Amino acid sequence: MKAFQRGLLVAAAAVAVSVVVKVRGKGHVPPTSGGWRELQGPDFR
Amino acid sequence: MSTVLVAGAGEVGVRAARQLLDTPGVDRVLVGARNGALARETARALDDGAESVELEQGAALPSGVDAIAIALPMNADAWIIAAAIEEGIAIASVTEDASALAALDTAARAGAAHVVTGCGLAPGLSDVLARHAASALDTVDEVHVARFGVAGDACLATARAARRAPVLEWRDRGFVTERGHGAELIWFPDPVGARECELVSTGIEQLVAAVSGVGRASVRLGLPHTPRVKLPGPFGLLARGRQDPGVGWGAVRAEVWGAQGDTRTTVVYGVIERTGVAAGTVLGVTAAWLAGALPVLGPLPEPGAAGLGTVAAPVPFLAELARRGVKAAAFEGVPVG
Repeated sequence: MKAFQRGLLVAAAAVAVSVVVKVRGKGHVPPTSGGWRELQGPDFR
Repeated sequence: MSTVLVAGAGEVGVRAARQLLDTPGVDRVLVGARNGALARETARALDDGAESVELEQGAALPSGVDAIAIALPMNADAWIIAAAIEEGIAIASVTEDASALAALDTAARAGAAHVVTGCGLAPGLSDVLARHAASALDTVDEVHVARFGVAGDACLATARAARRAPVLEWRDRGFVTERGHGAELIWFPDPVGARECELVSTGIEQLVAAVSGVGRASVRLGLPHTPRVKLPGPFGLLARGRQDPGVGWGAVRAEVWGAQGDTRTTVVYGVIERTGVAAGTVLGVTAAWLAGALPVLGPLPEPGAAGLGTVAAPVPFLAELARRGVKAAAFEGVPVG
């Protein structure tokens, strides 16, 4: 029973940490401006 | 008129053979594979007069061949390269083994043969793009290339091995071993878009040789999310619905930093196409050039072994690729994040 309670405590702590990381994390894709243009002309620029 | 042997009947080999069959200066294309039945089936599917050859290690190469386009995994091509050099036949190979390039160069010079290694997306097209971008600047400080995508299971296995191997970067005109693989988000042309790419050593020597005098260089590789275990039957169909949209696509990007007058600036070029099509086109065009069927690409280099980025003239090479549907693009804009 004691081991089960410890397991629950660890799981709860893990969930709490993951929620904080998820909320505060900055893992988004950085925005860019601009785009791709096909190379053309005699110099192919 | 010339004869070209394509060694390898995988995704890249088949596309290279198709490009060669569509080249007016090439009048005979042989498709070779260790599996004779596969070679025959591929030649029949290609049609247009493609012939099949069963490649057997130690056996003589077919007679009358002017150039060989090798689309085989590294080390599987060693005996073909040795036999071709002995007979003075030109070689274009998708793989590159930097550690063996010096010995290969010596042998190729002795045999008066042309050997061009790394004729794929990266190394290969990425080096040509980097050299072209570098020529737009007065001085070049840094070159960073990245590739996304694989063509076939053998290519995927090679790419995964490259991402596990120790990483080399070129810094202050010397190679430095990096501890981590330093994943970074790289922007490719759509539909590949932004992809996480890791540092790899594959092709770094070839890149540094292509852009002479550069102070810092790196190569990155990104892979589509593919399941390592293929699910059977209906489970596989269910998983296909969640497949990475980047599967099948290949993209390369070359970012060059340097000075133009008094201004520090960057030039970014990229290409996107089906991975097998792009790599096969690069290989096919290079082999046709070495066979003397594409004089528009310029004179052949002196006999010896070198990477594609070192020997190909960027403008006619990229123009020929564009004529065949593999079109390069320039990124115009700045990251604002």
